[in-house]
Amino acid sequence: MTAADHAHDDHGHGHLQLQYQPALPISSGKLCMWLFLSTEIMFFAALIGTYIVLRFGAPTWPEPHDVHLSEPIGAFNTFVLIMSSVSIVLALEAAKLNKSGQAKMWILATFVLGSIFLGIKGYEYTAKFAHGIYPQRPRSSIYERYDAVYRSALRLRLVDARTEVLPAGAAAKPDEKKAEAEAKTAGEFPAVTQVVFLQDKPEEKKAEEKKAEAPATVPAATAPATGTAPAAVAPALPPALQKVADSVNASLKKLDDPTADHPKLTREAVQTIRTELLFPIKELSPNADLRAQTAVDLLLKVVDNPQSDIKVVANEVLPSQSAGHVEGLNDEYPWLQLPFVIPGGNMWASTYFLLTGFHAIHVIVGLLVFFLMLFATLDIRRTLLIENIGLYWHFVDLVWIFLFPLLYLF
Amino acid sequence: MSDSHHSPAAGAHHEEHHDQTRTYILVTVALCVLTSGSFLTYSETFRESVPLQARWLFMMAIAVTKATLVMLFFMHLKWEAVWKYVLTIPSIIMAIFLMLALVPDVGMRQRRYSEERWKNAAIPEAEAEYGSGHDPAVPHHE
Repeated sequence: MTAADHAHDDHGHGHLQLQYQPALPISSGKLCMWLFLSTEIMFFAALIGTYIVLRFGAPTWPEPHDVHLSEPIGAFNTFVLIMSSVSIVLALEAAKLNKSGQAKMWILATFVLGSIFLGIKGYEYTAKFAHGIYPQRPRSSIYERYDAVYRSALRLRLVDARTEVLPAGAAAKPDEKKAEAEAKTAGEFPAVTQVVFLQDKPEEKKAEEKKAEAPATVPAATAPATGTAPAAVAPALPPALQKVADSVNASLKKLDDPTADHPKLTREAVQTIRTELLFPIKELSPNADLRAQTAVDLLLKVVDNPQSDIKVVANEVLPSQSAGHVEGLNDEYPWLQLPFVIPGGNMWASTYFLLTGFHAIHVIVGLLVFFLMLFATLDIRRTLLIENIGLYWHFVDLVWIFLFPLLYLF
Repeated sequence: MSDSHHSPAAGAHHEEHHDQTRTYILVTVALCVLTSGSFLTYSETFRESVPLQARWLFMMAIAVTKATLVMLFFMHLKWEAVWKYVLTIPSIIMAIFLMLALVPDVGMRQRRYSEERWKNAAIPEAEAEYGSGHDPAVPHHE
């Protein structure tokens, strides 16, 4: 740069004297880092552009609270990354003044802040995974709408959950006949049978209702469809629970009523079941297995009924008391792990994990380099190295500055 | 190879060292203010009073401002020579135009949805047949 300036000064002839410059007036390392960064700009532009186009071209997109995305955490992460950018700049300043100890302290601070960012990202990821939100099937439990595909997936999961909550004494995943036999001899619970797979015949339905009216347990649905009385006698319920059981059975009857074609009735019935059974029963019933079995059987009944509102089965539609966070069955019974409906959720999960995953990979690479730099003496001879790594780290910060509003605030 | 270029540059920086640190502190404060600004945009008062597209524009303007600050000051581009345009402008052009190129195809694909496709497409929960689980006071995007 200084040579080029002098070239212009020395001439009075009026034409340019060009001076040969071997390259750009910066070091090769810096030039290469900038070239790399411009390719990275295109790389992230492709990913972010894809996200933008897919998001605005999608029929619908989930709200952040639907997918358990927390804006305060994202904002805090942004702040952490900005601070780590500041610390690497200060490291460079210290190195230029040949204060290698101070430079190393700032590099350490950058490393720590970057690790905090990564840790918070990991926490966010585990929260998503715990709620069944994954980038793709089969792990992802997200369905797009309340259609027959969703209903059958819900059913499949409920049937699996049922075998998981067999009372003690039965095998974890038995074949059905064996479970029936064992449970009959166990004497405490009605057997897990294949009743839900069979269409209830009218006389069996009457038999079922009779059993329901008796001082029965709440899982009236598990009576065998063959019509024979269950060999096991259900234990008597405490009065409070009995009251709940009675009102629930009344609702169940309404649900099963073939003459009830008013959709509102079934919706109300299911809501009643949900509010009266599933939430209170957790306080009243001391027996976790009974609760679990009740819940699953009840849900199976709801899912099997073509008129019922399966929206209230799995999805998080009932607000709970805690801080306005909407809770559903998957929160109440974490083992249940039912598939749920988040319209646009699969596309959201794909783009979210893609963008943040690639960004996290870049952060990990940066942290690795910072870690290795901690073993060097960071005096004035290392300023180029620190400058170049700083450029990379600032770019990582830059990408996050764009990702934060795009993912969290839109 | 780079030493001859490096020492005058280091000398120049040494002279303006105090200004540099002050500049960095100012830029840091500005970034923090902008970050909290973009985050506050998502608060209830904003969401009720400002229309959706205006909020998006505001958030992206803040993001672009923050990015410019980081690039100019932290990445030192304010004091670099003309080559910075050679590297940054083509990549920005690529970023914008590659995205715009996808819009007619991917971004507007719903215009070509068949009846069959619409039957199976996701619909917003608020329009789902059995009513909404959302609090109606909370604005729902699209």
